[in-house]
Amino acid sequence: MQIDRRILFALVFLGVAGPLLAGIYLPITPGEEVKAAYDQFEQLEAGQVVLVSFSYGASTAPEVQPMALAVLRHAFRRELKVVAICLWPEATGLAQEVFDKMSAEFDLQYGIDYAFLGYKPGTYSVILNMGHDLHSAFPQDNWGTAIGDLALTQQLRSLRDFDLVFDLAAGDSVEFWWIPYGQEKYGFAFAAGCTAVMAPDLYPFLDSGQLTGLLGGLAGAAEYETLIDLHGSASKGMSAQSMAHLIIVVFVLMGNIAYFAARRRPKQEG
Amino acid sequence: MRDTHVFLGLLLIFAAVNIGLVASGLLAADWTGLGIIVAAGLTLALYSFLYKDNPLFKFAEHIFVGVAAAYVFGQNWYPTIYGEVIAEWTDPGAGESPDWWLLVPTVLGLLMLTRFSLRFGWLSRYAFAFFVGLGAGLTIPRYISSFILAQVEPTLQPLTWTLAGLNLLIVLVGVIGVLVYFFFSVEHTGAAGHVSKIGIWFLMISFGASFGYTIMGRVSLLIGRVTFLLDDWLHLM
Repeated sequence: MQIDRRILFALVFLGVAGPLLAGIYLPITPGEEVKAAYDQFEQLEAGQVVLVSFSYGASTAPEVQPMALAVLRHAFRRELKVVAICLWPEATGLAQEVFDKMSAEFDLQYGIDYAFLGYKPGTYSVILNMGHDLHSAFPQDNWGTAIGDLALTQQLRSLRDFDLVFDLAAGDSVEFWWIPYGQEKYGFAFAAGCTAVMAPDLYPFLDSGQLTGLLGGLAGAAEYETLIDLHGSASKGMSAQSMAHLIIVVFVLMGNIAYFAARRRPKQEG
Repeated sequence: MRDTHVFLGLLLIFAAVNIGLVASGLLAADWTGLGIIVAAGLTLALYSFLYKDNPLFKFAEHIFVGVAAAYVFGQNWYPTIYGEVIAEWTDPGAGESPDWWLLVPTVLGLLMLTRFSLRFGWLSRYAFAFFVGLGAGLTIPRYISSFILAQVEPTLQPLTWTLAGLNLLIVLVGVIGVLVYFFFSVEHTGAAGHVSKIGIWFLMISFGASFGYTIMGRVSLLIGRVTFLLDDWLHLM
């Protein structure tokens, strides 16, 4: 059985575009790990400080950017303070886009409601440095202002001073940077949002309590949007996601049926 | 020849669609509008690879590599290399003296670059020795604590007659099965063979789950680009 792979590509494209154009919404039920991440924000009181780490780039933005928007919208609705850093160089523009949207929506004041410290190279060594001295790891914000001059960051000295750390990740920053060098060493509450590819590897950290909540892929973002009563881009994409999965499952079944039929044929002929 | 005509035709259609969008006011005739047109063009050029390899795909691929490299360089240069090293010495601020301790990591970093010289390449070994020693010293205790000790604890909890207890039992059987499968000092026959077979089943299920999540991730990325094309570019949603 031979099917030109371009037919499969075309069908998947139509399966994605069709539901998006038709505006079909499927019901979304939040999972336990997403609810746990949501609860982390719900437990915080107005004025408490969340550190959000942007560790993704343009190639994974369709999955992780909706999470960033949903999580930060939730944080600002609850009047939490947010300090943002980037551990990936590409993330700075994406983080800035999120804060521009949030500032327009919530009338935020820079330096009081949020601070954006920009990108710092060094992966886990930045986290270790932040644990020792935040002002040494990030002496200036993204625009060159000393973080000692910002009201929000003036009193924050270490990772221990944050009430929650949330990593938005596309690589191995959750399991190989934040957990061993941050959460385990400094003992802060830690939740994460990651690409779907990464999610299966992170479930053991939920069991061990090293990770207190997890948003996995676009589905995780859609579940979070449901929890905060928002029909955002992730929720819009779920019907397209389901249709594409259905097409792939049908082709997997067809391939298997054809495979077993081909295996039986020589025996019947013999 | 046929493919050349197809691609030229697609380019003409792309130009006509954009002229129509700008003329109808759906796309603004400013830098934002131009940015959306360029992004739509590059997206379509990259997806054209699904039909077959072609010059449009190569063009978009090379632009991506060049822009990404320059962006990453800029992000490393301005805030860190210039902002925190060079400016620290050239413009330390009124009444402040330069932080000469920064010389140590700076020199170690520069020594790494001597790898490009046959004559001075040996100097890079000092930087690598420091880096490997520091990395191992930091990593080994952290990984033992985070990935072994912290993971063993939830696996060895008391079993109970509840759903959580059943979950724990499945995890325990899986861990033992996979560990036996990767224990090569004993021939996998008899009891060891049966247990390692259970380990293989757990590995297969784990690979299947990972592959399923990978497909989900790739489809999500496609959804992101299709949403951009249909909504931001064509305004059809």
